[in-house]
Amino acid sequence: MAVEELGLMTLEMVEASQLGMKAIAAALAVSLTGFATAWAMQNIGSAAVGATAENKDVFGLVLLLTVIPETIVIFGLVVALLLIF
Amino acid sequence: MLATEQMSRVLIVGQRDLMAPVITELQRQRLFHIEAFVEDEREENEGFRIGVPLEGAGETSERLLRIRSITAAFSVRPEDFSPAKRVRESELKAEIEQGLPAIEKEVKDLLSGRTDLENRGKELDQKIEALAPFADMPVDLALLRGYENLTFFSGYISKKLEPAVPHDSFYSETKRGRLLVLAVPAAYRQDIERKLLDAQFQAVPIPDEEGTATERMDEYRAQREQVQTELAGISGKLEDLRKKHSEFLVACDELLSLDAERSEAPLRFATTDHAFIAEGWVPTHLAGTLRERVLAVTDNRVFVADQEADREKDHPPIEFDNIDFAKPTQLLMDVYSRPKYTEVDPTLFVAIAFPIFFGLILGDVGYGVVMLVASFVLRRFLKGFEEAGMLLTVVRNCAVSSIVFGFLYSEFLGFAIPGLDSTLPSRHLNIGVTDHGYVHDPAIPELLIMTAWVGIVYITLGRMLGILNYARYGHGSHKVIGILANVGWIMVMWGILFMLWSAFPMPLMPDLTGFPAIIGGFSIPFIIGAVLLVVGTVFIVRESVLELVELPTVLSHVLSFARLMGVGLSSVAIAMVINFITIDLMIKPHLEQFSIIGVLFILFGILVFIFGHLFNIVLKLLIGGLQCLRLNYIEFFTKFYKGGGEKYNPFGMKRRFMED
Repeated sequence: MAVEELGLMTLEMVEASQLGMKAIAAALAVSLTGFATAWAMQNIGSAAVGATAENKDVFGLVLLLTVIPETIVIFGLVVALLLIF
Repeated sequence: MLATEQMSRVLIVGQRDLMAPVITELQRQRLFHIEAFVEDEREENEGFRIGVPLEGAGETSERLLRIRSITAAFSVRPEDFSPAKRVRESELKAEIEQGLPAIEKEVKDLLSGRTDLENRGKELDQKIEALAPFADMPVDLALLRGYENLTFFSGYISKKLEPAVPHDSFYSETKRGRLLVLAVPAAYRQDIERKLLDAQFQAVPIPDEEGTATERMDEYRAQREQVQTELAGISGKLEDLRKKHSEFLVACDELLSLDAERSEAPLRFATTDHAFIAEGWVPTHLAGTLRERVLAVTDNRVFVADQEADREKDHPPIEFDNIDFAKPTQLLMDVYSRPKYTEVDPTLFVAIAFPIFFGLILGDVGYGVVMLVASFVLRRFLKGFEEAGMLLTVVRNCAVSSIVFGFLYSEFLGFAIPGLDSTLPSRHLNIGVTDHGYVHDPAIPELLIMTAWVGIVYITLGRMLGILNYARYGHGSHKVIGILANVGWIMVMWGILFMLWSAFPMPLMPDLTGFPAIIGGFSIPFIIGAVLLVVGTVFIVRESVLELVELPTVLSHVLSFARLMGVGLSSVAIAMVINFITIDLMIKPHLEQFSIIGVLFILFGILVFIFGHLFNIVLKLLIGGLQCLRLNYIEFFTKFYKGGGEKYNPFGMKRRFMED
């Protein structure tokens, strides 16, 4: 208690705070990349549906193009997991 | 092995009068992929014209149209029937000549009768509707018209009206509002009209009928019922006809479709005044059979030549040539694109890797068993759909792989299998598990490295197939450069790996950090890695400088395999959350303290448990399937595969009712 009043931090508090920071960083890594992926896929996806409506044969190709941005969020996940574990 | 079927170009030349028997034979064989003749300015095409349909094409089409209109009225589809025995074409043809016109007439009469009755019914409905507002009026409707000095108004009005002229009025409350029937002397007509307009009067015509509204309505209702009975009778007769004839009709449809297909085949042949030339593709090992049969039906009076397709110049249609295990996976290949003739066919590798990837994602014994059962049950319902069957076989393979990996991960519906430690790095997260008597310890870094290894191996395989591609089908200096570029990509990847190993100790990877530094502070493994990297880059640049832009994909594509872990962990997490909510929060506490409400909670918990896990399976079946597909399409195929081959589609539709 005295420590808190004095505005000092114990080693445990520093460690706990670091853990929290890590958790926040991991959350940011996943969520921001998730948003980025969603935004990219939204545009590609709508164009892909349009293209498929015109010509059914391109389905395989546009499916491929649509899932390309997924890599962004996977990288976010990798970074987050590396931060936590 | 790893190549598509060897194709041969087949040329059939003969007199025009032999065209029909040749076409019939080709249709029966279902081997000949017709290469359509195109009339153009080229010298070798001079003097040839596109053929004209065989005799009777118009008649066949017309008849087919009539049959289809009947089958459409019956709404029968060929898939609904599994013919017990096949009929001979000539027999059915005779039957068509005799039986079909009668059936056609019968159906046509019934259908037109039905239309008449339906119209009559609608008419009666309208009359009943027009009479309905006057149902409460006890007066003969004929009395409400035909006067010189009296005018009648009838319609809906919101409030009662008291006109200051001599009048007689009748009000009744109907479903649509208050009905007013007003009789005034004709002299006041305009005056009253204005008043009614102010009172927002909605006029309703007085029906042109004799007798009271109720009487008329009763009579019309009776007539309506009569119509209904007659309609039911016609429907019954149609149903009887449908039961009796639909299989025959579907068979006729097939026969006539075959006829139409035959008659239109010459549209794809080249013809002169007296001869025809049919050009097409046949798998090489079947070319001999085809030639013999065509010669046999024409008494050797046509000329048939075949020649193996040249992998460099020709662009034959593509037929897969895979072992049975890999055949269902051809479906996944077709979604992307068939291989070109000058390309390695990777179907076998996809057939092996796809279920493994899926198992790595959804490795759970419980889920695997559910999927396995589902795939067998669905197969029962989807008999006769070839593609659905192929898909279900892929799902079955994935389910088996899920079960195997479930044991390796030690997972059953998100629980650890008691007494079985996970062989692979553990995926059991710490979600509400402390009171189960064990503490989970997910091995995330190990999982990450494991998936990276999968990526390294698979991408190396892809590059090796790239080498095979060039070695088999490349030529000249391009061949060497192409092979070296692919070797270069492998060297860059493994060079980076060596450098990483010598710099950082990592789980599940060789630890090369212990080597002493020799030159400039770098150890031997690091130097080996650097050399591989530099030499590899040189090989890549020799093919194309632009490829340098692609260098980061060495890392990104390997890391992309981390999705095997990411998606997998999410499925484990969802499963564990479902278990925690239902078992630990709903079922267990109420089992300990038993009460009426507790029973409800337990039942609800069981429901959530079942539907939660089903939801998780469906979700992961979709997502997992898509991710595995993507790993093949993007991370694997981009290394060596372009696709774009035309599908081998031999002439002749499949027969289900006719004898061959």
